[in-house]
Amino acid sequence: MSRRYDSRTTIFSPEGRLYQVEYAMEAIGNAGSAIGILSKDGVVLVGEKKVTSKLLQTLTSTEKMYKIDDHVACAVAGIMSDANILINTARVQAQRYTFSYQEPMPVEQLVQSLCDTKQGYTQFGGLRPFGVSFLFAGWDKNYGFQLYMSDPSGNYGGWKAAAVGANNQAAQSMLKQDYKDDISREEAVQLALKVLSKTMDSTSLTSEKLELAEIFLSSSGKVKYQVCTPDDLGKMLVKYGVTQPPAEA
Amino acid sequence: MSIFEYNGSALVAMVGKNCFAIASDRRLGVQLQTIATDFQRIFKIHDKLFLGLSGLGSDTQTLYQRLVFRHKLYQLREERDMKPETFASLVSAMLYEKRFGPYFCQPVIAGLGEDDKPFICTMDSIGAKELAKDFVVAGTASESLYGACESMFKPDMDHEELFETISQALISSVDRDCLSGWGGHVYVVTPTEVTERILKGRMD
Repeated sequence: MSRRYDSRTTIFSPEGRLYQVEYAMEAIGNAGSAIGILSKDGVVLVGEKKVTSKLLQTLTSTEKMYKIDDHVACAVAGIMSDANILINTARVQAQRYTFSYQEPMPVEQLVQSLCDTKQGYTQFGGLRPFGVSFLFAGWDKNYGFQLYMSDPSGNYGGWKAAAVGANNQAAQSMLKQDYKDDISREEAVQLALKVLSKTMDSTSLTSEKLELAEIFLSSSGKVKYQVCTPDDLGKMLVKYGVTQPPAEA
Repeated sequence: MSIFEYNGSALVAMVGKNCFAIASDRRLGVQLQTIATDFQRIFKIHDKLFLGLSGLGSDTQTLYQRLVFRHKLYQLREERDMKPETFASLVSAMLYEKRFGPYFCQPVIAGLGEDDKPFICTMDSIGAKELAKDFVVAGTASESLYGACESMFKPDMDHEELFETISQALISSVDRDCLSGWGGHVYVVTPTEVTERILKGRMD
């Protein structure tokens, strides 16, 4: 491959590729994975936490899941500092829409708007692309529950189930086999945990290595974004038979 | 007629024992003609923070929408609700930004701060804060409200008595003001619940 054409983000290679964008996707391929599954009564996002030191203070904030607005949340895979910029951009875009139209921003429009920002970094400015892939989960009154995946090129697609980050191809093929169209939210959680446990590199799966978040409609009909507590997550791992017992000495 | 008196408004907030109450009138007029009798002047920012906006209706709505914008972003970034004192500073800063083309509003902020301590304040249209320990008033009926509150208020009222007091103060004051009235809207907030009540007054 022509290394002469890598240094500038904004030009094509002779084969018609954008190398910087592809290198960004390489960077994401080494990051912690995230899986999103769309069910008929909600969207489930599960993420693998790469940094799990006992010294890390993780009281309330999450590493992989972020709320963008009351009705939209996202899971991140890639360079965290790049992700923080984009998440902030997405939050401001959502509020700007609400300010102008006095209603929540439709999920696809939010994803599109953020992807337009990402695309800008592949065409002008001479700056490198963002090394982040997102899984957006949300609800709006036009299309109900939705799941979108976006990558550094600014491409996005609506998915029924998607995976980003390390081993995402293996996860994606597993999801393709086991996903059913009328899956319920609980079954989606089970499927996501099962797939993630199979694709994660670690030998034993504990609730400290995972994050689980769901978007669903509460009993009063309002959209709710909820991150699972580590205790509940631990119980779920045992219930679904996903926790591997620690190896005997 | 002054631009602040174009739509007509009356707002009052009072502090009680571990609770607060905020009340407004419901009239929206265009000078002397009444247009609406269910106009919302008090807005909830979060469960323990309420904002009342008196003055020009259009400016109050826009200012409220801009504050929702800022507060939502704050909530997302800080992962917590804004304290009332902080919110008051935000409102003050936003109003002063428009020092030479101001919003024609007078806000009344009421909330439960740290340890659920009641906090109330008001400010003028360019953000000069006025903190008070007992009550704050705003709107075209403010002069009558000052008198009514001064005589009816006593410290450390419980939420029932506070509701009665603030309602009486509001109704008696708007009755003396032709630009405000057509009922009242009262919120009484304690650390555990928020009670919203509509008052029936002289419908004129």
